[in-house]
Amino acid sequence: MIAAGGLTLAIDGRRILTDVSFDVARGESVALVGPNGSGKTSVLRCLLGLVPFEGRATVGGHDVVGDPVAARTLIGYVPQKVAFGDATGREVVALVARLRGLRPARVDGALRDVGLEAHAGERVRTFSGGMQQRLAIAVALLGTPPVVLLDEPSASLDEAGRQTFYAIVERLRANGHTLLLASHRSEEVATLTDRTIRLDEGRIVEPPAELGCRGRVVRLAPRAGAAR
Amino acid sequence: MRLRPTVIIAAREVREAARSRWFLLAAACFLVLSLALSMLGLAGAQRSGLAGFDRTTASLLNLALVFVPLVTLTLGGLSIAGEIEDQSLALLLAQPITRLEAYAGKYLGLLAAVAAAIALGFGATGVVVAASAGGGDVRAFLCLAGLALLLAAATLAIGTVLSTCLRARARVVGAAFSAWLLLVYVSDLGTIGLTVARSLAPGQVFVLALLNPVQQARVLGTLALSDRVDVLGPVGIFGIESFGGPGLVLLLVGALALTALASLGAGYAVFRKAVLS
Repeated sequence: MIAAGGLTLAIDGRRILTDVSFDVARGESVALVGPNGSGKTSVLRCLLGLVPFEGRATVGGHDVVGDPVAARTLIGYVPQKVAFGDATGREVVALVARLRGLRPARVDGALRDVGLEAHAGERVRTFSGGMQQRLAIAVALLGTPPVVLLDEPSASLDEAGRQTFYAIVERLRANGHTLLLASHRSEEVATLTDRTIRLDEGRIVEPPAELGCRGRVVRLAPRAGAAR
Repeated sequence: MRLRPTVIIAAREVREAARSRWFLLAAACFLVLSLALSMLGLAGAQRSGLAGFDRTTASLLNLALVFVPLVTLTLGGLSIAGEIEDQSLALLLAQPITRLEAYAGKYLGLLAAVAAAIALGFGATGVVVAASAGGGDVRAFLCLAGLALLLAAATLAIGTVLSTCLRARARVVGAAFSAWLLLVYVSDLGTIGLTVARSLAPGQVFVLALLNPVQQARVLGTLALSDRVDVLGPVGIFGIESFGGPGLVLLLVGALALTALASLGAGYAVFRKAVLS
């Protein structure tokens, strides 16, 4: 479902990614792990076409550079932070719903799913970090895209919010969505993903032996019953 | 480029502008100054203290030449840089839209907001002047409103170039203010200095003037206000003699439109390759 070949990225002369290649099968949930600055977020940005890179990346067979609209139609994206000028939570979700050609009726349901219906009319800039992340999840899941890219999605969530998020991700996995999760949280990686891709200094690395299972590249068969 | 996402993004820009305190303050200032100038323009000459359309138009020309570039350079400058800084542009471009649709939508939305502010300022002034003093050249008044919009289109496009190139609010505000000073004041002085130092011929000065959208608008506005060629000075006279009145108008309108299109093209060329983090 996701294929990255030789992703190489340099910004302002600084090498961010070097020859990063991996595949994610349909219905798989894969973690991108690594220390700060290892290139996890940059990999997601390459897949979204947000940065000019060398190499090739496809999502659902669509080249993210050559056919970005088709590729991004398949992708829901949960960034680390959501800001949207002076817009309210409902306006942000409604804007994305319109851009994705969805019915306005989906907006309230999306906000309800993440427990933000009571704050829908408030400005996003007044939201706490956790509320912004829940809004990001609501935006990403609009239209139930088959691929979801998550960038440190629970970093600002409290315990209740994290449990809600885990339940949402489990539901996505059960429904056969393909997930690529950049995260620092080992329990999140262990709970929510089938295997791990470890990055360090912009390259895919094999995990040091002393880390044991954590960080090991483990390939599992796609989940049974994966629909998409 | 698809129309639907472009319109959706433009509508969002209009909504954001309508909430922006800075933009609302600028629009209110333009309205108040327009009304104040119309009242001052004929103070003592009309019993109501209000000018007819002729003198009001002359006053509004100078206001538009100073005010419109200031607002649009800053507004265009903040449009993309602000969203790069708060990372909302990355979320927008993660949706199934192209960068061209995003860029065009943002520009058109901002232009629509500026057009509404111009229409409000000119409209309110026109209504007050017509009701209180009446008379005069309404056509020139309407031409000036159109000219202000054309100038706004050109300088807003320059603002978006600054925004895509500089990518940070603080840098963009400084650059927008510098560009405003350059276009409105410094280029005049520079042209005069160059003319004296290099003994430029009127044709050369005319070409220099064509490079500055504010100068283009100034000559166009003067042409709309008066049939007398001498008010245009030697450069204007050169233009009239070389191209004729209608030809000069077409040339200047074309130059303003070209400034807008070239700036938009340059801005998009940077934007389509921009790194969004």
